[in-house]
Amino acid sequence: MAVAAETRVPIASEADIVAARQQVRALAAQVGFSPTDLVLIATAISEVARNIVQYARRGEITLSPIEQSNRRGILIIARDEGPGIPDLELAMQDGYSTGGGLGLGLPGARRLMDEFAITSEVGKGTTVTMKKWARPHG
Amino acid sequence: MAVPILRQGSYLIASVQSELTDADWVQLGDGLAEQVGRHRSRGVIVDVTALEVMDSFAARALSTIASMTRLRGAETVIVGIQPEVAFAMVQLGLAPTLVHIVTALDLDDGFALLDRRTREDAEGGRGG
Amino acid sequence: MIERAERAIEPSLTQEMEITGEEIERRKAFLEFGDEDVERLMSMNELAQQYADSVIEAFYRHLLSFEEGRAFFPDPALLERVKRKQKAYFVRLTQGNYGPQYVEDRLRIGLLHERINLPTKLYLGMYNFYLRTVASYLLEAYPQDSKKAFGLFLSLLKLVFLDINLAIDTYIHKRERTLRLQQEAIREISTPVLQLRQGLLILPIIGVVDSLRALQLTEQLLRTIRSNRARVVVMDITGVPVVDSKVANHFIQTVEAARLMGATVILTGLSPAIARSLVSLGVDLSRIRTVGDLQGGIEEADHLLGYRVVKGEELDARARPA
Repeated sequence: MAVAAETRVPIASEADIVAARQQVRALAAQVGFSPTDLVLIATAISEVARNIVQYARRGEITLSPIEQSNRRGILIIARDEGPGIPDLELAMQDGYSTGGGLGLGLPGARRLMDEFAITSEVGKGTTVTMKKWARPHG
Repeated sequence: MAVPILRQGSYLIASVQSELTDADWVQLGDGLAEQVGRHRSRGVIVDVTALEVMDSFAARALSTIASMTRLRGAETVIVGIQPEVAFAMVQLGLAPTLVHIVTALDLDDGFALLDRRTREDAEGGRGG
Repeated sequence: MIERAERAIEPSLTQEMEITGEEIERRKAFLEFGDEDVERLMSMNELAQQYADSVIEAFYRHLLSFEEGRAFFPDPALLERVKRKQKAYFVRLTQGNYGPQYVEDRLRIGLLHERINLPTKLYLGMYNFYLRTVASYLLEAYPQDSKKAFGLFLSLLKLVFLDINLAIDTYIHKRERTLRLQQEAIREISTPVLQLRQGLLILPIIGVVDSLRALQLTEQLLRTIRSNRARVVVMDITGVPVVDSKVANHFIQTVEAARLMGATVILTGLSPAIARSLVSLGVDLSRIRTVGDLQGGIEEADHLLGYRVVKGEELDARARPA
């Protein structure tokens, strides 16, 4: 599926959030996303990266270009070994936050991407998997 | 990276030059609140033309800056949000958070807006 | 295995049309085209080589006896080239190895015919002519064993149907692509963003709005706001037949994004029926500035921008000292 090697971005500080945004932007531009999509993807990754910094302190995001029946896209997997999320359904609701934020991080990221999945186990960590497909340029 | 804050008459201008970390945003808010008091500024312009991403943290920071400076007697205008960035912010669901912030297209428009508002305030003040 | 290796090198029509190795197998299975058929076809190779010339010559005599057929071959050199190709194909039918490379070749030939606008009736007529001619040769070749001749013919029939299907698919594929391009073109011209005067844009939306169009429309408007330094936009939806909650939410997002950039959007042309349905759907339009009709919207926009519209006579009157 993957047409090029994946990029790993370690997330351990606020500065890494900015780095993740810049890396995903560069990769998404290569894949052929429109300027609008580049910003959507960078914003989504910013939210999941911040989630790692706020709740798990450290983690890793992997970025890979993907291809499926003639369309190209990007796969983003954000992993941490933090405290995990006890109630995923609640965490995916707009406005729910335990970190003093707007509570738009995860549900917002889901709105920005085409595909979004989250798994979490208390005491083990959280994994967010997101995909976006490039629209044909019009 | 710290954001330089310039003073021009009764206004302060913060021109964001590159992507900011969360700490940079907080520092910018504190800096503006402090300087508004020190210079008795009537208006603040935050120019975000250079920003390619505005996520929920940045939006909350802007909203906080607007509220803080208002309490200190200055109106804040955010200028230069790029088309793609505005679109992503709305998709993310940030519009309700930013409903009370004032925006303008660019610095020129921001100044014009502040001039109008501070004049209205002054006239309103005389009337009451 | 050899076929697989061939396919890997060819990044091609089979891929573009998503006719994968598995799809080819599915098609063959549906036609009940198996190893036995391949063997039978290959057993006819000698016969095919022997009769290729006469079959092809006969076919082109037939084709050229029709005005429509002649129109395609004004140039004798072209005719000769096409004949050579057809002979090669005729023999190829009996050479085995009907894998992805074979399919790729069929698709290419199909595309070639589509490109010169060869009508499908001539295409199918050609296959019919081949089959009839081959049937009579087979009966001649096996005068004592018509059952064998018929078996051979049925195997050929399966392969020919596989080929016809591929040819028709290229026609459909090409037309669909053209259609898609046209739809995109229509989308683009269907949402002009017009500058009425300095700082004021008009966005008349006409026709059905789906998610993709709403997205393009929003992108286009936001970019134009920036490039034209617009402060007010009048978005007129008189020409939008249906506004459900989904479309309404798209419009709300457009308005909010424009506001973040510093531009005010005035929504006009919301019919009473649409307004009623939006209210019953629970769509919150409270944050959106709405004005009944386009003219009212423009007046409000002028007011926001500080313009005042004055009739020419009044201006003249003012210019002339009384």
